[in-house]
Amino acid sequence: MSLRYLHFDLMRALRNTRVMIFTLVTPLLLFAIFGSGQGDQTIGGISAAAYVMVSMAMFGSMSGALSSGGTIAFERGTGWNRTLRLTPLRSSTYVASKVVLSLLLAVPPLVLVFAAGVVLDDVRLSAAQWFQVAATAWLGALPFAALGIVIGYVATPDSVQPISALTTILVAAFGGLWIPVEQMPGWMHSIAELTPAYWTGLTSRSALTTTGLDTHALWVVLLWTAGLAAIGLRLFRAEAARA
Amino acid sequence: MTESKTITSAPPTHALSVRGLRKRYGDVRAVDGIDLDIRTGEVVALLGPNGAGKSTMIEMLLGLVRPDGGDVRVFDGSPADAITTGRLGAMLQSGGIVDDGKVGELIGLVAGLHRDAMSVAEALETAGIAGLADRIFANLSGGQQQRVRFALAIVGRPELLLLDEPTTGMDVESRAAFWRSMHQQTARGRTVLFATHYIDEADAYADRVVMMRHGKIVADGTAAQIKATVVGRTIRARLADPDPAALASLPGVRDVEIRGDTVVMHCDDSDVTLRELLVATDAHDIEVTSAALEQAVLALADDHQPTETTTEASS
Repeated sequence: MSLRYLHFDLMRALRNTRVMIFTLVTPLLLFAIFGSGQGDQTIGGISAAAYVMVSMAMFGSMSGALSSGGTIAFERGTGWNRTLRLTPLRSSTYVASKVVLSLLLAVPPLVLVFAAGVVLDDVRLSAAQWFQVAATAWLGALPFAALGIVIGYVATPDSVQPISALTTILVAAFGGLWIPVEQMPGWMHSIAELTPAYWTGLTSRSALTTTGLDTHALWVVLLWTAGLAAIGLRLFRAEAARA
Repeated sequence: MTESKTITSAPPTHALSVRGLRKRYGDVRAVDGIDLDIRTGEVVALLGPNGAGKSTMIEMLLGLVRPDGGDVRVFDGSPADAITTGRLGAMLQSGGIVDDGKVGELIGLVAGLHRDAMSVAEALETAGIAGLADRIFANLSGGQQQRVRFALAIVGRPELLLLDEPTTGMDVESRAAFWRSMHQQTARGRTVLFATHYIDEADAYADRVVMMRHGKIVADGTAAQIKATVVGRTIRARLADPDPAALASLPGVRDVEIRGDTVVMHCDDSDVTLRELLVATDAHDIEVTSAALEQAVLALADDHQPTETTTEASS
């Protein structure tokens, strides 16, 4: 990891309005639409407002995490990676910086949507719950950081946008971030379980229940991360060996 | 193994040593057996037409393309080592730059990766783009973008600089400014190898010109040497009834072209030819011209030029 490279990438990401809209404005809007006016309703034993707040925050952090890896596709396509090979920067440092950037870009949507939950919907949690919800939601960005790297090495500059956007939408819709899993028809629920978002959502929401942290779901999240990271590493090595 | 031995025993004054370098793409031998040594402090132009293999050669010298055969040593190490230690800097023809980066950020980034780098301000100043630090790369003109690439290449104070067609996309004024800043670099003893198809650039800025064609080196020397050995001089004259065979048999003549009543003779030794010409024929309106380097390049670049065969015979 190179702090200097990370800083350079972060500045570029913050200037990228498309990424900022997708990771900040969209989840906020969705939360404002679906999260408010739920009254005292509950979903799966959790206040509906808190449920939607966590889901939309995770949707935003997932988009942020994915977008970082996606920039690899652009940079491979434009020859930036070749230019970097003419500098002392190692390609492993480059990828490590992208992963850290993913995790950084996952933070603002979490903070923003949580703040909206408190302000707009009067969501009240204990300090321990806030901590656990935030930590697990942030951890939930890990598999998507790895998936971003995979997409970065598979996609071309032309295809990376649609691939990333479609992945985000499908995972959010079928993984239970946009539609609560408890309200899904049976067939959709079965599909949901095949997405990493289902397990990251389950992990994070478990902080709001009386039963405490869902360790089974947490393990599935870590397995997804390990699997996707292994694929990303393979693709990275194949690319590095090509010259 | 024996090959690397001969290279390490070479004097350490070589910035770059290339032995038997080869690369083919399908049926095309892009680089076809190149040996080249560049001493430290030399400024060498790699001259050749498009498709001569210059870019492929430079990419192999940088370790970006893996050669099919042969060996590249940069300061007695691999290109990758020289890049890691900052001794080798390079500028590719259209080297990709993330175009949403600001100029100052880009140069600061690369400066930060080197141990003994210039400040961003110094690099900008040296490349002649002092006012552009806050501009986004994508919004610059082609010439300005080239100078940013140049700043990226020199910011780590490399000892050897490889430039692939550095002035592509620059207008006349930027080209002149670019070479002025290059001059500052070479005056400090920096070794430079630059590929170009601008003959005047090779003529004006290089101590040595290495000419490539079809992946091979076809000439290597000072610009003056290449002009002399490759093309010699040309005699033009008017004759009432020119006899090509008789003219071709004159001493010092390499070949003869008849254009109406005008005769063009390419000569190895125009003085000897001229003496005979005035005696043996009614030649009048005689002009003797020495070839420009440009003609030398054309001669070397084009298979169908009549001077071509004699070139190889005379070398």
